Order: sequence, then C-alpha cells, then structure tokens
Amino acid sequence: MKTETLLSLTITIILSLQVEAKPLSYVGGTMVMQENDETGHTVSSDYTFLPTEALGVYVKQEENGKEILMVTPEFNTLLKRWNLPDGQGNIFNMSGAGLAHYRGNNQPCLWTAFLADYESRRWFLSYEPRFVWDGDIEKSVWQRARIGIAPYLAKYNDLNTWIMFQVDHHPAKHDHFVATPLIRFFYKTYLFEVGYSSNQHIMINWQTQF
Amino acid sequence: MQKYLLTIIATFGLTAAVSADTIRATVNGMVCGFCATGIEKTFRAQPEVKTVDVDLEKRLVTIQTKQGRTIDDAKIRKLLGNAGYSVVAVAREKQ
Repeated sequence: MKTETLLSLTITIILSLQVEAKPLSYVGGTMVMQENDETGHTVSSDYTFLPTEALGVYVKQEENGKEILMVTPEFNTLLKRWNLPDGQGNIFNMSGAGLAHYRGNNQPCLWTAFLADYESRRWFLSYEPRFVWDGDIEKSVWQRARIGIAPYLAKYNDLNTWIMFQVDHHPAKHDHFVATPLIRFFYKTYLFEVGYSSNQHIMINWQTQF
Repeated sequence: MQKYLLTIIATFGLTAAVSADTIRATVNGMVCGFCATGIEKTFRAQPEVKTVDVDLEKRLVTIQTKQGRTIDDAKIRKLLGNAGYSVVAVAREKQ
C-alpha cells in the first residue's frame, strides 16, 4: 500500500473518531480536538491513562507556507499543576515523532511543545512555544499566547462564553505576528471557537471529551 | 432485659447496614465543564455511588452513596487526585 493511501486512511479514521484536544483529561478519558487556523488544519486525539500522562495521535496539514502533512503519535505529559481555590495553573509538554509528507517527499519528523496556562471561571491565560523538525523539508519554531475573559459566570451545564485574543509569532515565516480575536463557546464537554485573524484566515476550533 | 438489648442492637445494626452517606468534598482546581464532567464520570463508575453533583461556584463535589454502601475518604481523595484535582476537606452525613 502506498504511503499516501496510508496517510489518507489514517486521517479518515481519526476524523471519523470524533477526536478532540487539550492535552490531558481524567484517567480513562478521551479527548478529541480539531483546529483550523492560519497555521493549518490539526486533528488530534488522546487517551489519558495516568493522571499525568496521555497518549494519542496527531495529524496536521500545514498551510501559510509549505503545505506539509504531519502524522505522529502524540505523548502528553502534565509537568506541573497548581490547583487553586479559584483556578488552575498547568505546565504541559506535548511531543510527537512520526512522518512528514511534502510534494512526494516523506521525511521523519519530530515536534515538541510546552503549554503553560492559567484558568479561572473568569480569566484565561496561556503561552505555548512549539518546535517542529520535518527532516530536510523544514524546521520551524513558533509561539502562541492567548488571553480570555468570561463576560458572565455560568454553571458548567449552561452555555459559557469567552471573549479571547490570540497572538501567534512565526520567526521562520518572515518573523511575522498574527493576531486573532475569537469567541469561545463552552457547553458541558463541548468547546467551540470561532475567530478571524489579522492575515485574513477564519479560525474554527472544536474540542470534546468523553 | 437481654431481649431488649438484642432488639436495640439489631435495630442499630440494621439502620447502619441500610444507611447511605452524603459526602461533600471541597475541591480546588475545578473551573470548567471538562473538570465537572470528568469528576462526575469518575464517580459514577464507582459501584458505591448513587449520585454525584459538581458545583463549580461553591467548589463542592457532592456524592450520595447507595443504601448500605459507603466510600471512604482515602478513595475519594484518590479518585479526585486521579482526575487532577486537590481535595481540601471531606464532610459526610448519614441518611
């Protein structure tokens, strides 16, 4: 079977699994996430098997530059958590090693990212640097920061709304900054985000947990 | 007299055997629907648990056990810890 067929099959299976994101859930929980933003399209899913460890699959079709398809297993680790009376702070590491495909060229690839976040029922802050090595296709580093506020406090089984602002910095792509104002809707275990970036890309993200 | 004593002991014993617990755990770190649902699913999977309710505002996880069943503090702390949260206090009352 050709590599392209295998990659297509993998993506199809992952999409049909209704996979989701956030690097960890609870022990025995599965997270599924899809992100569509100015960097490309990402689908990932992970299963939390220990309080601090999750294993999953990560697929990303990059845009805004070389259209590289990455398929890797994903290993997520909670490095540190602060459980506070009114909030929670975390530092995660997410890493993967697999295959990158670009114009008929397949290369081994590696990526790793750190995510630091603080979330209360009112405020959200996060920062994520990400390092990607796609063999001899491309090497890149980028970083993302986000701030959000909930205009009203709702119970978790009511619709929660967040107003957020995200900034991406891509040193490898003309050292440019991209700003994306967005709205997050959160209902029970369903999260949906929609935004519009300064470089005119629509952002649509969703995430669920089961 | 002996019969009365036996009756009293049997009554207390029976009451204890069929009573249920309402347990209120005060928890740090709960902020969203993912937190609440994860905790609810974790406790609903336990054979001792009848109902579980999460109140984010009050930081409370309220667990009601089945009649004649209980769940000890150590297990509650372990389950909430595995779900990613810190238990501040556990209070319980018999029903």
